[in-house]
Amino acid sequence: MGLTGFLTVSAVLFTLGLVIFISRKNTIAILMGVELMLNAAALNFVAFARFTPSQASQLDGQIFAVFIILLAAAEAVVALAIALSVYKNLHQIGADKLASLKG
Amino acid sequence: MMGIPELFFYFFTIMVIGIGLFVAFSKNLLRSAFALFFVLFGIAGFYVLLGGDFLAVVQIMVYAGGVNVLLIFGTMLTSDISSPKTSNLSFQGALTFIAGLTFLILLVVIINTTHWPMHVPGEMAPTTKDIGRLLLKEYVLPFEVISFLLLAAIISSLVLVKKGD
Repeated sequence: MGLTGFLTVSAVLFTLGLVIFISRKNTIAILMGVELMLNAAALNFVAFARFTPSQASQLDGQIFAVFIILLAAAEAVVALAIALSVYKNLHQIGADKLASLKG
Repeated sequence: MMGIPELFFYFFTIMVIGIGLFVAFSKNLLRSAFALFFVLFGIAGFYVLLGGDFLAVVQIMVYAGGVNVLLIFGTMLTSDISSPKTSNLSFQGALTFIAGLTFLILLVVIINTTHWPMHVPGEMAPTTKDIGRLLLKEYVLPFEVISFLLLAAIISSLVLVKKGD
């Protein structure tokens, strides 16, 4: 369980998020993919903070992870509000069906 | 002879990757959302193994308790979850799978061939006090910016789902 072990797990998680992101039709499922990718990035930051810490502080990577978690929470709230509002107006949230802007 | 941390590392790895595969390929969106809970929980376990006790609790509270409940809530409100025909479709599954696998192999090769400047990890210590000190000293500007961003997210989500016009 060295640095490469954690990085490999994080790479698998990122790839799963990417697969969800580009293959799902449902907007909320796409949001789940984004959450997985953000989690993988945060895990990378914490692993680097543990195994190759910066000179200034041991905890810089963990601070970054805290910020990533906060950003993901804000992003999830706004994206879900958009999804609910789209569903209210168009009665569907399939990403392939929402083509009103297409001329 | 494996120590206890290695045992937990492999346990969390199998848990996160196995349930993550279920999230990615399940036909039912609600099941995906519930399975995502366990993935997030496993990542909190990784944070504990990496010496981030505060971060693990934040992960459980914010992700498993907040974001995932919101995702389940949104799933129940918007999609026809009872029928797998419309719940969680994916398109071009084979192509996406091949692309994802290629990307993963690339990442793993890069990770395993790079020479990382390793240090011997120090002793694990409680991090809450130091994180609080860093947030209010060195990182006070990002802290303020992100609190402003949270305020903007609250107001914008309220405006977006407002009843009426």
